[in-house]
Amino acid sequence: MSETQTLTSRELHCWSCGAAAGGAHFCPSCGKIQPLPPDIDYFTFFGLPRRLGLDAHALEAIYHELSWRLHPDRFAQASEAERRLSLDRAAQLNDAFRTLRDPVRRVEYLLWLSGRRREGETRQQAPPELLEEVFELNEVLEELRQARRNGGDGTAASLRRQLEAEQQKLETMLAAVDKELAEAAAAWDRALDSGAAVEPLFDRLNQILNRRSYIRNLVENVRQELAAD
Amino acid sequence: MAYSEKVIDHYRNPRNVGSLPKDDPNVGTGLVGAPECGDVMKLQVRVNPVTRVIEEAKFKTFGCGSAIASSSLATEWVKGKTVEEALQIKNTEIVRELNLPPVKIHCSVLAEDAIKAAISDWKRKSGLAEAAPTGAPAAAAPAQE
Repeated sequence: MSETQTLTSRELHCWSCGAAAGGAHFCPSCGKIQPLPPDIDYFTFFGLPRRLGLDAHALEAIYHELSWRLHPDRFAQASEAERRLSLDRAAQLNDAFRTLRDPVRRVEYLLWLSGRRREGETRQQAPPELLEEVFELNEVLEELRQARRNGGDGTAASLRRQLEAEQQKLETMLAAVDKELAEAAAAWDRALDSGAAVEPLFDRLNQILNRRSYIRNLVENVRQELAAD
Repeated sequence: MAYSEKVIDHYRNPRNVGSLPKDDPNVGTGLVGAPECGDVMKLQVRVNPVTRVIEEAKFKTFGCGSAIASSSLATEWVKGKTVEEALQIKNTEIVRELNLPPVKIHCSVLAEDAIKAAISDWKRKSGLAEAAPTGAPAAAAPAQE
């Protein structure tokens, strides 16, 4: 602990008055805006515990308050250095908010923070229970393309309806996965609270995320195909 | 990467494309997916219950040319074979026949998996226990007595 403190102590002291700033947005002593600690995560940035359950209203309230306090417009008369710091923090604020307010991205981020998931990692593996769905969907897509090529308007219209039904099915699946993800996230928080092992939950969360991204891609494909008319 | 002539031939003139009635008790259906590229392959066999010879085979594959060629070739090869003979088909034979490059070997694995899946589906339907070591003709889990 003392080691990390030594490493970052320079950043953790106010650049202006030298008081201990502890990575806060503003120096508690002189009120000057502070640089971002290099290893700060989004939860810490918002002053929130590293948990998956998050009160959306509370998050939004903090966001609004911080975006007002950190906004570069408020530093128009300040020094060049302070203007840059406000830009840094405002940019970080927006990234952090976009990530934390989305329950899926929040899980992805937490897994990434824990070294359990590389950024942008999505496995294209078709989960076995989805194969049937994927196959049927591909069939309808193929028929639709063929009908379009042949100019069969009647057939295309009926296939379109079929595709819309498929889309509905996929959206339902997506909703079910989201529910599963929310449950696993709650289980993760409960494990944290009770001091139980979170290890098995990492795998579960990862699996759910992978299945979700697969279904999401299918939804996206169908959406594009339906929009191609 | 250029496809071999045989791949192109199967891709342009795929053999045995289509489907067999899934609910036919003599038809086995194998549906498999490729982790590497998201391909899906369906292979079906119609087995003569007396001789256990595969009399008909159909496939439908959504994927790259190599996946289509591998499954097309697989249907050609299983036809006329008994299920036991068909189970001996190895993906490496498909690789050799089609001159598949290393990056496309998984397509041949998929085809082999599809054959196995289709036959095991047929066995399950025919009440031939797949997992039971004794070959007991029961679908139920082997009870310890």
